[in-house]
Amino acid sequence: MTAAARALYAVGIRPHFRWRELGLLVVVSAALVAGWASLSSFRAGELALGEAGLLVSYLALAFAIHVAFVITGRRMDQILFPTATMLAGISLLLMQRLPQDLVEQSIAGRDLTLAPLQLVWIASGFVILAALAIFVRSDGWLRRYKYTWAAAGIGLLLLVFLFGEVTGGARLTLRIGPLAGQPSELLKVILVVFLAGYLAENRALLSASSTRIGRLQLPPLPYMLPMLAMWGIALAIVIVQRDLGAALLYFLVFLALLYVATRRASYVVLGLVMFVAGGAVLYGLFPHVQDRINIWIDPFSDPQGAGYQIIRAMYAYGRGGILGTGLGAGLPQVGNVPSIPAIHTDFVFAALAEEMGMLGGLALLGLYALIAQRGFRIAATAADDFRALLATGLTLVVVIQAAIICGGNLRVVPLTGITLPLISYGGSSILVNGAVIGLLLALSDRGVEPPPPGTRPNVVRRLGRRARGLGGRVEEALS
Amino acid sequence: MTASRVARLRVRIPLLRPKRPRPTGPPRVAGSLLRLSLALAIGYGALAAGLVHWQVLEASRLTNDPLNPLVLAAARNAPRGSIFDSTGKVLAHNVGGSGEPLREYPYFVAAPVVGYRSTIFGTAGLENTYDAQLTGLVSLRPGDELLRKFRDQPYNPSDLMTSLDVELQRVGVDLLGDQRGAVVAIEPTTGRVLALVSSPTFNPNRIVDPQNGRRYVADLREREDSPLLNRSTQGLYVPGSVFKIVTAIAGLGSGAIAATTKFEDQPEEYETGFLVQGFRIRDFPRRVQLDHPLNFYEATEVSSNIWFAHAGLETGPDALSDYASRLGFGLRIPFELPTSPSQVTGGDGPLSGFRDEVELANAAYGQGEVLVTPLQMALVASTVANDGLLMRPKLVDELRATDGSVTTLGPSGWSQVISPFDAQIISDAMQLAVEGPFGRDLAGSAKVPGIPTAGKSGTAELGGDAAPHSWFIGFAPADAPQIAVAVIVEGGGAGAQRAVPMAGDLMTHYLTGN
Repeated sequence: MTAAARALYAVGIRPHFRWRELGLLVVVSAALVAGWASLSSFRAGELALGEAGLLVSYLALAFAIHVAFVITGRRMDQILFPTATMLAGISLLLMQRLPQDLVEQSIAGRDLTLAPLQLVWIASGFVILAALAIFVRSDGWLRRYKYTWAAAGIGLLLLVFLFGEVTGGARLTLRIGPLAGQPSELLKVILVVFLAGYLAENRALLSASSTRIGRLQLPPLPYMLPMLAMWGIALAIVIVQRDLGAALLYFLVFLALLYVATRRASYVVLGLVMFVAGGAVLYGLFPHVQDRINIWIDPFSDPQGAGYQIIRAMYAYGRGGILGTGLGAGLPQVGNVPSIPAIHTDFVFAALAEEMGMLGGLALLGLYALIAQRGFRIAATAADDFRALLATGLTLVVVIQAAIICGGNLRVVPLTGITLPLISYGGSSILVNGAVIGLLLALSDRGVEPPPPGTRPNVVRRLGRRARGLGGRVEEALS
Repeated sequence: MTASRVARLRVRIPLLRPKRPRPTGPPRVAGSLLRLSLALAIGYGALAAGLVHWQVLEASRLTNDPLNPLVLAAARNAPRGSIFDSTGKVLAHNVGGSGEPLREYPYFVAAPVVGYRSTIFGTAGLENTYDAQLTGLVSLRPGDELLRKFRDQPYNPSDLMTSLDVELQRVGVDLLGDQRGAVVAIEPTTGRVLALVSSPTFNPNRIVDPQNGRRYVADLREREDSPLLNRSTQGLYVPGSVFKIVTAIAGLGSGAIAATTKFEDQPEEYETGFLVQGFRIRDFPRRVQLDHPLNFYEATEVSSNIWFAHAGLETGPDALSDYASRLGFGLRIPFELPTSPSQVTGGDGPLSGFRDEVELANAAYGQGEVLVTPLQMALVASTVANDGLLMRPKLVDELRATDGSVTTLGPSGWSQVISPFDAQIISDAMQLAVEGPFGRDLAGSAKVPGIPTAGKSGTAELGGDAAPHSWFIGFAPADAPQIAVAVIVEGGGAGAQRAVPMAGDLMTHYLTGN
């Protein structure tokens, strides 16, 4: 123990170096700087870095967060944060590349356009990420109040039902005063928290005893109620909000978590049958569901109308080819009209695949696969069922959401409007997905290193313990 | 929670996991994660497959899709390659520097081949077929696709060096004048198309004119003689006697007939007609060779319908259809311009498509249900000229990209239709049909002065009072062919009246420059 370290310990700082994270952040920074230089050079016609302020601020923030992780001594997963940094960095690069006037908003008296706005969202999301990763030392606040969380989620849903504004044919946006957001993003986290608590508690019952109908083994009837409720909520979202993507995401995450908790394939089969049956009924009843399916099967049946968006996306893939056109060399807009409607949100994957090509698209999928691998690893090494299910669920909301929108963009599945986590433009999406990564990081913490003899406990840890004590007392009072 | 209390679980491959007594209670979460990962891997695999599908397998088709606005937008801003004829004359190029460049076509006679590129009406002809190469969005070589990303100029437009001889094309247009018809000239040994005339035609400069283009095209579309139709590749005509060459190819190729084959009843059938199931086939009246059964050479020279009806019946429906399809009948001939499929029969009868022997016998001398494109008949002549080897027809010899790279599109054989021996027999017969003492009456005017010339004239009866189509197919020099032609004049009367002298003038111009 060196004198310097003792001095640090003396003021309550117990650093834990994260060399692998630092190394990966350097690699990510190099890649992003290269991308930025490529874009600026293409535009300038000579080697240039352009207005690198946005990128420099972003990278500075990422390294600052890394330093914060080191100083607070948390022993968390070291790969997740660089992966998120790469994804959000790609997002910043794409937003810088796309026509800036796609979004204009005034924040704190300054009129901002696409890329600076996205940086504001990313920075906010990363602050939330860092705060959750550093300060969440207990899962009690998530574990104990699962029905409170469920109630909050349903309340949020009802608020959207009643007061939501319609954007792009779907009732998504909730506006409170100057703040506007899409609660469906937050709802997915609440859903995972509730499901993890509920399934961890009732796992034994759900997987052991069962009701038999013929050869089909069903869960005990009382425990099917949440399943039915979940199914009903998903259908209600489709009917009332017209938000097919969110409904699909919720239901798939639910089924996956149910399977992980019980390892009963029959539940998954039953769930999928219910889903297909529900989908068939909706197909018959609602034109917007029919449109989605028909356009998926043959977009050229209405090339100037409903099929327009997906056809334009296909042309973009064709233009991109294997290596892509290169950043800046694609054609995301013709004249002043974006070539693909919603290119910065729902179809950002097509923008990426055009300019970075098949290899860029595959690399992006690889980044999400990396998140899945880290998330599942965190789940597999978790201390108990709740944490394992929570980590699994948080991972799934990111990677399944990415799969749904990429699949929709690629015509692998019908298109449903939903954001590409950490890439698409949008405050709610970036903030919530930042929070998800932050929670995953917190869950991955292997605990503080035992203090060396003769030093005082970590200040931060002490604060955390106090907060946990307070939470426990409030909880007792309520129950 | 401290690290010591955490049970470190690891996901393992189930097969390698040693068997342990099944623990009581619910399965461990960690175990389920492996299967969940597998499901996710399948999902992400499908996405990766989707990417590969669109960006590799379908990329070229999507990039060339005429509806693709990205292609259109890029084409508007980017330079566009020029189109040249085989002697270096410019057939199409961009003019006007500021703003959107306009396309100019110095030789409107080449319109059926070159087509046009209009901002209003899109593209046609070679301007359409090679649109992507002319704009430089794609190259024929996949390696270029990869390299292009590293160039400072992402577009690499190519010039098209075509095989067209625009002077020969002009001669063809002048010869047809205001008559409706078509001329196709091919280099038999390579399949390079030398001339492709369709009359009447249009002026592409007036189509691309931004001010008056719409009205001009509206007028063209209303005209009853369809100037926008490319008769040489898409016009379907009754061939008449020129089809006898196809019958000869099928008969000799299948061995059903030989050069010496004679039909003993023939001299008297000239008087009575050849009765096939109650249908009487007659020869055109002639003064010569009425006294003895004809062999193949004589029958070709005097163009005896009766002999070829006999030969067709001997050959049979299967072999006739088979050899015709080897020549390209029944399919859209792969070519750089749109083609219509030629047919030997209407196709719904029991005898390989023929209804009965009457239809077969009639088809054998080019009537019945036979319908052909001029391009198809030029390929027939070209096959005989090239020792029975049919070359794939083609228009573009070379693509010269702006970056200096050159892509050569060399000749390629399509099918060996008949043996060189049989091809020589037919070639000799066709030479007699032009130069022989009796053939001279019918097709002598196709003769290129001083050069052995082979050919076959035709008079296609249309039924009713309609004037027959005048046809000629042939090639020269007969011993070392350099040019094979097909000429049709709609309603031009007997072959000798219109098509035959035109073909003679055309071949003479090409071979001697006069």
